[in-house]
Amino acid sequence: MAGSQDMFDAIVMADERWVVGPGQRLPSVAEAARAWFHGEGYQEGYEEGNSLGIIEGRQYGTLHGAKIGSEIGCYQGFAFAWRCLLHSCTTEKDSKKMKALESLIGMIEKFPYDDPTYDKLHEDLDKIRGKFKQLCSLLNVQPDFKISAEGSGLSF
Amino acid sequence: MKDSLVLLGRVPAHPDSRCWFLAWNPAGTLLASCGGDRSVRIWGTEGDSWICKSVLSEGHQRTVRKVAWSPCGNYLASASFDATTCIWKKNQDDFECVTTLEGHENEVKSVAWAPSGNLLATCSRDKSVWVWEVDEEDEYECVSVLNSHTQDVKHVVWHPSQELLASASYDDTVKLYREEEDDWVCCATLEGHESTVWSLAFDPSGQRLASCSDDRTVRIWRQYPPDNEQGVACSGSDPSWKCICTLSGFHSRTIYDVAWCQLTGALATACGDDAIRVFEEDPSSDPQQPTFSLTAHLPQAHSQDVNCVAWNPKEQGLLASCSDDGEVAFWKYQRPEGI
Repeated sequence: MAGSQDMFDAIVMADERWVVGPGQRLPSVAEAARAWFHGEGYQEGYEEGNSLGIIEGRQYGTLHGAKIGSEIGCYQGFAFAWRCLLHSCTTEKDSKKMKALESLIGMIEKFPYDDPTYDKLHEDLDKIRGKFKQLCSLLNVQPDFKISAEGSGLSF
Repeated sequence: MKDSLVLLGRVPAHPDSRCWFLAWNPAGTLLASCGGDRSVRIWGTEGDSWICKSVLSEGHQRTVRKVAWSPCGNYLASASFDATTCIWKKNQDDFECVTTLEGHENEVKSVAWAPSGNLLATCSRDKSVWVWEVDEEDEYECVSVLNSHTQDVKHVVWHPSQELLASASYDDTVKLYREEEDDWVCCATLEGHESTVWSLAFDPSGQRLASCSDDRTVRIWRQYPPDNEQGVACSGSDPSWKCICTLSGFHSRTIYDVAWCQLTGALATACGDDAIRVFEEDPSSDPQQPTFSLTAHLPQAHSQDVNCVAWNPKEQGLLASCSDDGEVAFWKYQRPEGI
């Protein structure tokens, strides 16, 4: 236990080890070398891990962003197509459908695609999903795809 | 306390199955029950006994989880695990399924009619709450799909006089919704329960809401309007809801249902320990911090979990309960003297 604690100290406090207070002995050459290599190894490992993490994070972000983009794009295409189809319909029922359609399109247009750190991203996405479901119900159509159980992305 | 709840009768409402929920019609003359046998049954009195007046068996493919009467008493809604909600039209003793509401992805857990009768709410394991509008031709249109909960939504209930909707969920919260610019929005989240919230009941004034949970407590929440005298903070123009009382230590298992009598204010609970309990507010307690006393406790009200308790809307003290044992029981509650 004490040994492993020393190792740990050597790694995390590699720089501080060279400061010797009054009455303390200087570290031996072996100790100094060990600490130096530990420190260097730690630094290299950290940098490599960091860059691997960035790559992994970027891939995850791209994948996740693409899923959201594809889902929203699908809703948008659906909404545009129905707006054309309902264009000439003027009954009261149709105006309700049109209202929901316009509302969905408005929500999609407001969705901040360029800000992945937007804190209401999932809240807004859930509202878009809700509006889309309401619209499907009003139009009496079965969406031919389903929102997956995880709540993100589409499975066609 | 033992004599404050007296058994009036018992019927094997859904034999060899579970009886999940009960609903009295607004006139208090009929009781609807639903169960695991996929049927809804309508009960009425003949002389001193309760008899089955109708069986609604053709509507659903799976368990019927909840039923609700429209405020006019002419329609009955049934929510089922088959992902649909049926609307039944009453024609004397006959009921005809006039509409099937589809849209939920899976099990519909609850259904409730707004006091006006023009709106209906449903909720599901798919985590969503749907609000439906009813037009003059009995057609139902979805006006909103609310995805505010993060888990299975167990129950929905409307405020007794306003268009304010409350939902309870497996995510341990209660959420409230109101209409805003052609859509519905979540306007409050009530956090405090430590496990699934199973059911909700408004008090007769609608100022307070009772919630019951898997954490074996009942919580009483009170509405505080903006700029209230008590200084409870509100955000914007929405009232704020604060927990003013927690009934803990009374129940030994999950509390599945809570019912607030609209005539007397007595609060009944249905519990997984097979018991029915009734609480009364202490009249001298502070309305901002009320205390409640247990006035009736019937340990073996049923032979299995009690799933629902329902006060008759017209006859004071008449309580119905149902259980996993498939039975419906009728009770006479007498408020003990000296309270």
